[in-house]
Amino acid sequence: MRMRWPLIATTAAVLTTLAGVAAAHHSFTATYFEDRQMEIEGKLLQFMFRNPHSFVHIEAPDENGTMQRWAVEWGGAGQLSGQGVTNQTLRVGDVVSITGNPGRDPADHRLRMQYLRRPADGFEWGRNPGETFN
Amino acid sequence: MRTLLIGASLCLIAATGTARAQIAIVGEWTGRYHEDQGDRVPGDVQGDFTGVPINDAARKYAEAFDVTRVAMLEHQCQPYNVAHIYRGPNQFRIWEEKDPGTQEIVAYKIFNGTYMQYRTIWMDGRAHPPDYVPHTHMGFSTGEWHGDILTVKTTHIKKEFYRRSGLPSSDLTTLVEHWIRHGNVLSHVSMITDPVYLTEPYVTSEEFVLMERGNQNWLYNCEYVMEVPMDKDDVPMYLPGQNPFVEDFAKKFGLPFEAVFGGAPTTSPDYLPTMERLMKR
Repeated sequence: MRMRWPLIATTAAVLTTLAGVAAAHHSFTATYFEDRQMEIEGKLLQFMFRNPHSFVHIEAPDENGTMQRWAVEWGGAGQLSGQGVTNQTLRVGDVVSITGNPGRDPADHRLRMQYLRRPADGFEWGRNPGETFN
Repeated sequence: MRTLLIGASLCLIAATGTARAQIAIVGEWTGRYHEDQGDRVPGDVQGDFTGVPINDAARKYAEAFDVTRVAMLEHQCQPYNVAHIYRGPNQFRIWEEKDPGTQEIVAYKIFNGTYMQYRTIWMDGRAHPPDYVPHTHMGFSTGEWHGDILTVKTTHIKKEFYRRSGLPSSDLTTLVEHWIRHGNVLSHVSMITDPVYLTEPYVTSEEFVLMERGNQNWLYNCEYVMEVPMDKDDVPMYLPGQNPFVEDFAKKFGLPFEAVFGGAPTTSPDYLPTMERLMKR
């Protein structure tokens, strides 16, 4: 999906005024193994900053070394805005390292975001107080 | 003198002479999640079917349900229907629509912040429309006061779910609600009848508290995107007997699956002896 930056910037300006609605439209516990963690590192392909949940798509190898498109679920745009994350925070092409809870179906190649770090400038999310989502 | 005072009082009452005003339910309300918090807010592992009087059709549907279905483009922004919306995180605003000539309440209007849904509760005695009028997520509602309890009947509700575990609701659902205000707390009791998926009425209750300073966040902008790459025509589901997660809730809490999936009999205290036998097995 090609990112339309002016439209996304406008949307982000509106969303930054919001506290973020915890819609809980699906149960994380039912979707992810919350007692497990895994780490992936790769190139960011897409950053979807939106409600109900933002998603980050990363190209990274799986446990067999095969490159996969991983879908990492993150907080809603309103909620992340309150934590200083905007649609400009991540860019296509960024190399990031993500730790998350794996999805219950391994074929989905999906994670629930726990921690993100961009080595190029040290940006990180998930280790500071308040950096969480529901 | 005493007779004079009593007489004067009676005259005053006659002069003011109107019926006691209805308790007001207008305002901005937010949920209080002390009751059923785990189910209503974060959700738990797959397989929580407890407390719902489900029938075999509902069991078949729930067994086939894959929770990742919500990632489909068609379902990402799907609202909760009126029988479900008050169970989850929600703030809502109630106001009155009054007849300009008589100042009588014609309707209560409700804006539910989650999924930004508007709802009308008609108070003017109008009939519900015929069966095959288009259904909506908020349905068609009429209400009447019984003392200080607002009783609302809703029909023409779109099908959706009773639980995120995949317990379905049909488009033949009828909802009866009782709204009861006491102080700054608004109690909400629902009785749901569904001839397709329930064997008897499903009763739930929630509490809401008045937001004295109002809500700052009434927007819920939902945008469809390809959350998890999948074929356009792929619908996540499980064939009979192949859902590996349907017993997760029962296993997590050490409960017999028969009890978790048992429907109406399991909601009665009379079920306890059966439960004890199953637990011993």
